[in-house]
Amino acid sequence: MLSDIELQLLKRHFEIQGWDISKQEALKNSSVFVAGAGGLGSPVLFYLAAAGIGNIKFCDRDVVDLSNLNRQILYTISDSGKPKAHIARERLLQLNSFAKIQSLKGEINESLFEDEHFDLIIDCVDNFETRHLLNKISIKKNIPLLHAGVTEFYCQVTLLIPGQTPCLACFLPEGTKNSGKGIIGAMAGIAGSIQALEAIKFLSKTGESLVGKILFVDMKNISFNTMNIKVNPKCKICSHLAR
Amino acid sequence: MKLRVKLFATLRNGRFDIKEMELPDECKVLDLIKLLKIDQKDAAIIFINGIHGDFDSLLKENDEVSIFPPVGGG
Repeated sequence: MLSDIELQLLKRHFEIQGWDISKQEALKNSSVFVAGAGGLGSPVLFYLAAAGIGNIKFCDRDVVDLSNLNRQILYTISDSGKPKAHIARERLLQLNSFAKIQSLKGEINESLFEDEHFDLIIDCVDNFETRHLLNKISIKKNIPLLHAGVTEFYCQVTLLIPGQTPCLACFLPEGTKNSGKGIIGAMAGIAGSIQALEAIKFLSKTGESLVGKILFVDMKNISFNTMNIKVNPKCKICSHLAR
Repeated sequence: MKLRVKLFATLRNGRFDIKEMELPDECKVLDLIKLLKIDQKDAAIIFINGIHGDFDSLLKENDEVSIFPPVGGG
């Protein structure tokens, strides 16, 4: 049940054609796990909290470094050296004190998913090794995984649903290494905003999702491409699932 | 054989984003990557008609090959 203040905070949602209380309550009743509170995680967490997602749990192992601040908009210079998980939780509660927001400083591992239900895992991590771990958890626990990766002026986003779409390992070989760390901060903002939008649409059952499609954005040359992607029948992680 | 080749992100630098190419029959993805002077480590994700391919995948007439570098930051 949404309070009067929440309804005021979310007033602009209700001015969207087709949006109604059932969609907003679906967001309020949703539980999301956000892996990482950095360049992608900052806009994702901000926009999910602002959109009225009721239950947000996130995890980040790092402390704030000055080199983070060109893109990690949850933090300021005065946060330097402090754990991102703690600072981010404080900021998010300032934006939406009606949400249940839990944060953990540490590594992502399967035990974080043992006794809690999540409707969606959002991949905001900065390395492929952890992404493959999230993918295995997604398949094992049957939780959709919203993947994104970003670098320089480019990003890719796709929504991976166990048993319905390819999994990450269907198209991204294990052992893949990042090519570099260079990035324009606004590009992480675009990628994270796309993730936040996809999460909101998926959880509220609104519009089309990036299910079975990968979106590739090239802001250096200003192009958006989507491509249909299919299950890899030889995938070691998900090929056993019935479809 | 004719192929439709799509490159993404940094792989477009000095090359192209989409191109129809003519290659000899029996070519593999690795042959295409060498022809395009792409470093193997930069070809992180390969799709052939939307399905994962690898360097040893055999290409055939009218295949659409998409090659992505590792875009893995967060």
